[in-house]
Amino acid sequence: MSHYYRMSSQQFAGRQQRMWRRNQNTVSFAPSVALGPISHTILIALMIAVLGLIYLTQVTKTSGYGYDINGLEQKLETLSLQKEELTNQNARLSALKSVENSNVAKAMTAPQNSEYAQN
Amino acid sequence: MQSQNTYTRSEVLIWGLLIVLGIFVMRLFYLQVIRHDYFVAEANKIQIQPLTIQPERGELYVYDRDELVPLVLNERVYTVFADPSEIKDVSKTSEILRRIIGGELFSDVESLLEDNSGKVRYRVVARTISRTQAEKIEKEQLRGIGLQQTNRRLYPEGSLAAQTLGYLDVEGKGQYGVEGALDDRLRGKEGLLETVTDVSKIPLTIGNDDINKPAVDGDNLVLTIDRGIQLQTEALLKAGLDRAKASKGSVVVMNPNTGSVLAMANYPTYDPSQYNKVEDYSVFQNSIVSAPYENGSVIKALTMGAGLDSGAVTVNSTFDDSTGCTQVEDRRICNVEEDPKSASASMLDTLKYSLNTGVVHIAKQMGGGSMNRAARDTLYRYYHDQYRFGQLTGIEQTGESAGIIISPDEQEGNNVRYANMVFGQGMDQTMIQTAAAFSAEINGGTYYQPRLVAGIREDDGDVTAKEPVVVKNNVLSAASSQQARDLIWQGRKTGFFGKFDREGYMIGGKTGTSQVVDPKTGQYSDTDSIGTYLGFGGVDSPQYVIMVKVDNAKIGGYEGTTAAGPIFNDLNNWMIDYLKLQPKRN
Repeated sequence: MSHYYRMSSQQFAGRQQRMWRRNQNTVSFAPSVALGPISHTILIALMIAVLGLIYLTQVTKTSGYGYDINGLEQKLETLSLQKEELTNQNARLSALKSVENSNVAKAMTAPQNSEYAQN
Repeated sequence: MQSQNTYTRSEVLIWGLLIVLGIFVMRLFYLQVIRHDYFVAEANKIQIQPLTIQPERGELYVYDRDELVPLVLNERVYTVFADPSEIKDVSKTSEILRRIIGGELFSDVESLLEDNSGKVRYRVVARTISRTQAEKIEKEQLRGIGLQQTNRRLYPEGSLAAQTLGYLDVEGKGQYGVEGALDDRLRGKEGLLETVTDVSKIPLTIGNDDINKPAVDGDNLVLTIDRGIQLQTEALLKAGLDRAKASKGSVVVMNPNTGSVLAMANYPTYDPSQYNKVEDYSVFQNSIVSAPYENGSVIKALTMGAGLDSGAVTVNSTFDDSTGCTQVEDRRICNVEEDPKSASASMLDTLKYSLNTGVVHIAKQMGGGSMNRAARDTLYRYYHDQYRFGQLTGIEQTGESAGIIISPDEQEGNNVRYANMVFGQGMDQTMIQTAAAFSAEINGGTYYQPRLVAGIREDDGDVTAKEPVVVKNNVLSAASSQQARDLIWQGRKTGFFGKFDREGYMIGGKTGTSQVVDPKTGQYSDTDSIGTYLGFGGVDSPQYVIMVKVDNAKIGGYEGTTAAGPIFNDLNNWMIDYLKLQPKRN
């Protein structure tokens, strides 16, 4: 009695070229449903579609950065405008005419004479 | 029996579909391959938006002693406009606008908003409102109300140094003054953003061929003007003109050791923020650089320097002035009647009493004792080549005039003319030319280019200074320069104005009263004249030069003395305190 499980001649046909060795599992199951050319085409089409979706997602994500950048630029512009407004306000308030007309300046008196200390 | 060549309906359908598909494929091939470039270009036209990035116009700063202060800034303002056909509730809209904008809202806003004929869809209801007000209006989301952003120049100091600064016209072009002369530097360079945009024109970062060239802002220039000196100069000029009942005048204050202009004041003046309301366009001109005139006797101070440097006279030279007149060809040139007559008049007397005969004597000495070609050549060399009369100074102002000086080679450059030129008649200079030449005469003999730009204010607030430009060395020798300076100093000190000066300071100066040619007759006017005072101040050496000009004063006397001199006195005494100059005790 042989130690080996005997396969059908059909099953064995694909393995004929192989050399059997000791302790090697020689049992192999072939799927009962084979994929035809239409199935292959659909699968390839699906793979292409998935890849396309991934590509589109990435592209959309990249273009989305444009909105982020635009938002940040808007923020920067707003802050710049605020700074400009404060600078202008400061310039107006510290203008000589404003200072002259201030209550502090009006309360001042002009010196009658100026002397200098010698070192 | 069915023929072998007949097709089933399925086969006809298949072939039909194949033909249609074939047409589609060919059409797509035509559109996508053959006409690829055309459609890409068409798509780019819609998707890619070239956006011009406007640069920020450079601002103008000045010093107030050591502190940097702005004189011209940029400001965003907004125009509020309405589309009357879109407005449903006029009273509510006008009420909200009035609450936010206040007095700047046009008083007839209701009638502007109510016009719903549909013909006018753009009506301005307020101008130059602030950003804060614009934001509040935006928040209200008023139907039919829009905002338009514009930029304008802000002048915190009002009309201060108006002619020196110039203004920015409605097209954004600098006019007159520094704005006009340095328009390119202030304007900056436009940038370009060319990229794919969405429907809202928001740039997207997906294009491989994006162009993002940032704008280059204009230079923020720091002027040599000192705010305190400028303000005081303008105030004293106005007060002096009122005192002299004169309608027009100018003052320039310079640092003779660098050529830096510390103040330039003209009256009448204008407000650059409201330049469009000016009726007399001549007020835009900075007459200190653009209006040459016969300076009169202040030129005697420069003739004295030329005489000393050329060796024609020395500080101890004397001449016979017993008649008070001197002859040049067929013309008799005399001093004014009040001047003392002396058989041995000195060079100091020449400046102290403003003797025409004294400076004609110097000119004659240049010619070996008479007014001749050699004398004219020497005078021309000093006036034109050394003092640089008849040449542009290159100061950063529009409309600079080179003035007029007639060469001795020309027929009009005769002995009589040159005998008049030595006391400031028969040649025209601008005030900036004379002040720069005078600075060179008294500072040791170095001619510095008069300048208004001291440097550039960088973004971090630091100032990159611009060094003074030496145009000419040895205008006079150092010794001649010192002798001339001392004579001018002593001339003032021992003269009429000496009593107005404080002890311990070196104050020198010379008056000038020149006749004015009446444009109607082409002859010198009997009623109009120009008074000028040219002087310097300091302790051991001149720290500042002041030149004052008063047109058509109605105060009587010689206007150089009665109208221009007092303005110099006031400003000079103020400058001593402002610069904190300590007097010399011995």
